[in-house]
Amino acid sequence: MSTDNTETTPERPTQEVSLTVNGEEVTSEIEPRLKLSDFLRNYADLNGVRVGCEHGVCGACTVNVDGELVKSCMMYAVQTEGSEILTVEGLSDDGSLHPIQEAFHEEHALQCGFCTSGFVMSTHDLLEDNPDPSQEEMEAQLSSNICRCTGYQNIYDAVGRAADKLDGDRAADEMDDDRAADEMDGDD
Amino acid sequence: MSAPESAAADGEIQDETADEKFVGKGLNRVEDHRILTGSAEYIHDVTPEACLSMGLLRTTHPHADIVDVDTSAVEDHPDCDLVLTGDDIAAEYNPMPCGLNEMSEWALARDTVRFVGEPVALVVASDRYVVEDLIDLVDVEYDTKEPITDPVDARRDETLVHEDLGTNVPDSERITFGDVDGAFEDADNVLENQYSWGRISGVPLETAGVVAEYDDETDTFDIDCNIQLHTLVDDTIYEPLGYDADDVALNVPPDVGGSYGTKIAIHRYCTLAAMASQQLGGRPVKYVEDRIENLQGGDMHSSDREYMMRLAYDDDGTIRGLDVNFVDDFGAYPRYPVNQVLKPLSVISNAYDIEPVRYNYEIVLTNKTAQTAYRGFGVDPHLYALESIVDEAAYDISMDPYEFRQQNLIQPEQLPYKLPSKNIYDSGDFPAALSRIKELVEEEEKIDGGLLDPEVVEQRRDEGKYRGVSYTVHIEPGVSGADWTDRQRSEKDDLAEREMDDVEELPEHLRCRIQSDGTVLASLATDSSGQGHQTLVKQLLADQLGILPSDIDVDYLDSVEAPTEYGSAASRMAVMLSGAAEGLGETLVDNLEELAARHWDVDRDAVTYRDGGVSLDDGSERLTRAELVGIDDETDGDRLTYAEYDYQHPVLDVEGFGEAFTQKYPVYPTAAFAANAPIVEVDVETGVIEILKFYSLRDCGTQLNPTIVEGQAHGGLAQGIGAALLEEFAYDDAGQPKAVTLFDYLLPSTKNIPEMHLEHTETPSPFTATGAKGTGEGGMIDGPASIATAINRALEPFDVIADRIPVTPDRVRRKLRDE
Repeated sequence: MSTDNTETTPERPTQEVSLTVNGEEVTSEIEPRLKLSDFLRNYADLNGVRVGCEHGVCGACTVNVDGELVKSCMMYAVQTEGSEILTVEGLSDDGSLHPIQEAFHEEHALQCGFCTSGFVMSTHDLLEDNPDPSQEEMEAQLSSNICRCTGYQNIYDAVGRAADKLDGDRAADEMDDDRAADEMDGDD
Repeated sequence: MSAPESAAADGEIQDETADEKFVGKGLNRVEDHRILTGSAEYIHDVTPEACLSMGLLRTTHPHADIVDVDTSAVEDHPDCDLVLTGDDIAAEYNPMPCGLNEMSEWALARDTVRFVGEPVALVVASDRYVVEDLIDLVDVEYDTKEPITDPVDARRDETLVHEDLGTNVPDSERITFGDVDGAFEDADNVLENQYSWGRISGVPLETAGVVAEYDDETDTFDIDCNIQLHTLVDDTIYEPLGYDADDVALNVPPDVGGSYGTKIAIHRYCTLAAMASQQLGGRPVKYVEDRIENLQGGDMHSSDREYMMRLAYDDDGTIRGLDVNFVDDFGAYPRYPVNQVLKPLSVISNAYDIEPVRYNYEIVLTNKTAQTAYRGFGVDPHLYALESIVDEAAYDISMDPYEFRQQNLIQPEQLPYKLPSKNIYDSGDFPAALSRIKELVEEEEKIDGGLLDPEVVEQRRDEGKYRGVSYTVHIEPGVSGADWTDRQRSEKDDLAEREMDDVEELPEHLRCRIQSDGTVLASLATDSSGQGHQTLVKQLLADQLGILPSDIDVDYLDSVEAPTEYGSAASRMAVMLSGAAEGLGETLVDNLEELAARHWDVDRDAVTYRDGGVSLDDGSERLTRAELVGIDDETDGDRLTYAEYDYQHPVLDVEGFGEAFTQKYPVYPTAAFAANAPIVEVDVETGVIEILKFYSLRDCGTQLNPTIVEGQAHGGLAQGIGAALLEEFAYDDAGQPKAVTLFDYLLPSTKNIPEMHLEHTETPSPFTATGAKGTGEGGMIDGPASIATAINRALEPFDVIADRIPVTPDRVRRKLRDE
């Protein structure tokens, strides 16, 4: 059950909720029964949150709430009061692709794309904690998401490629840090 | 050589030169960027201003007469915008057409409900949460009836699903090609066995959805929906509404979250949302099916067959004849894809040289939700049943199944090969493919430390884990035709008299216009659901026009703008787009040369289109595409910077297909093929089956985009694995569906899909513009048959055959206990 434009009538109780979504504060008056997935799609206009099953199996609605992966169809929006939420739209700005998104593109890790936001968010979570996951670790993490088109192999390849890209980025950052440190040393 | 004149921003690599060819390359998809950033607009995301939400009250009874539907509590509720029952819509509208002439179906049940999940009333309100509240207030009184759920029992007509029809078998045909009875009498051996294929379907991650808007000024409808084949099956929507095709525009978003055939039958939702919008004076009305509705009563189950196969063969291993008999449980209504039972005629003997053959099917009605199309369109169960009896025949004469298969394959010199059932395989070397896959597995796995290292196999057996591999080769029939698809609605006695002039095919339409900045905007008449058609059109047209893919944009036509055509089904788009792009390119080039010649006031022969623009042959002048548009803008008459092309069916003029065309036998002129070798391991204590690795050698002729081909193979095989081991819409004897959530209908996850080792060969089709063959359905067609035969190998010591799909652990255990 997904919904749009929830107009509330006086008889139905509502509650105010304030949270941060992709770095922006959102405050809304909502019904307590509103699912987080519907809140993100219809109140925060984040359609990248896909709704595939609404019973916590498919993982298309996966987002990050306060650093934890969450299937947003399994949570009420009012439970996220004061939380920080990251969705696929928040991974990069100005229309460019995050290295994980680039890797999915380059490895042809999506076809119809309906599951893709969830896989990208799940990969993001995995690589935050584990920059160099094994095949078994990838399979374990991604078993919470269903893809009906690709058969997963290209998704594993994308995760591996994303890990390499992010590793490269980190190495570049470290080099920058080293250079900055060198310069500071020089100042000394 | 000129530089590209403009570049559209598609995130593509921009540094190719235009003399490069793009067909055959793994060009990254242009569809990806919008999807990855969350900005793709699926039907779920379409919400026009003032849009209302619709929901459906669905019955929980498999079979009952409706005594009364009391909607007064809803009507009185301040939040209710509209409530309609079956009788309400019957007062103004028409029933929906079925796949058989004598039957039709109301979008809301009227007197009788015939399956759990059948909609009885619709409610419209501001949002779906409120709609669900209101649905609870509708009060329906039923008089329950005995349901019938077993298709074999249903054939006895003791309990009728439709009393007025008088039978549960509304369609059947027995077709004999050659002297089958004689062959079975003469052969040394005849084997007869039963195989069962469970109710399995596509289950795309995106459910069905529609946003309908009636315009009372023009008395027309605009319907955004994720239907598949929107120009072909639009009659299932405009007929119930009582309007002409031109008054009901179906518009499919560029992004559809998977369909695999299933979404061709979502017309119930489209018609109901359109009726609701009309009743509300044109307020847009949106309906998105939830997952439980989708699984339980979403009209999207697929083939559900009980086979009785007979095979005649000699002691030396020569197959002498084949006799295929099956019933297919279509649920309560035979919907549009009734011809799903006929498609296997196009591959009746798979890659074997077998004749004579007989084919005998019955469509059976039961109290279950209706069938739709699913990837493979009925070929998947056929190949499973055929390969199963081939296995058993080999056992029967103590022959190695590999040798038995190899001995009966069609030889390369027999290609093109005409089947007794009149279809023709275009090209391929099936024996070579079969021996290659065996050789590959032996090299890689029957070695020290390999998955099939004899020592390892023996050791695993000691632990109760039985490994097996089988080698099979399978044909994926591609392209289809349109004319044969109404065989079941035709007078069969008249078919023998038909001539080629009577055959009506549907061409593939493609059009394009050059935009003011010189980019080319091509428009597809076919909807897509993740296959990457926009990317393919860019590649094909770029080569035709000598420009960069990034200079081409691709959009979609709605059902009114586009002519009626077949659409993206039957593994046909690679072939049809190849031909359409070739014709379109030639037409546009012709037009541009004409325009330039007129402009320069010279003979047509004095100008040449090259590298994206037109030059005077003496080299003195050149017009870019943008300049040509400017000239065209100032010229009266037909636009010459616009072109359209209708690509006719590729084998309409190939004489050998005449018999199939005129007599309405399934025409599938490309034979892609795959040689498979899944390595399975069966735990005989628990019945759990694991596929350890899947080897597959695949050939779909010329690959237009190897990246996309590979993706189709991976995805198709994943669905084949799901079908073989996990997925089923079972019902209990009381008619209640047992799989109504994704906890019950098990989609394969990372835990079920093994490592795939794929190899590709290219045997071009002699019948198609680029040599491409269809490839969209392959893995789902050949996966289950090859997995089942590998399980047979693993369980050979127990004399157990995988005679029911899916091969679930409980079934394996039952078989092992019984043996």
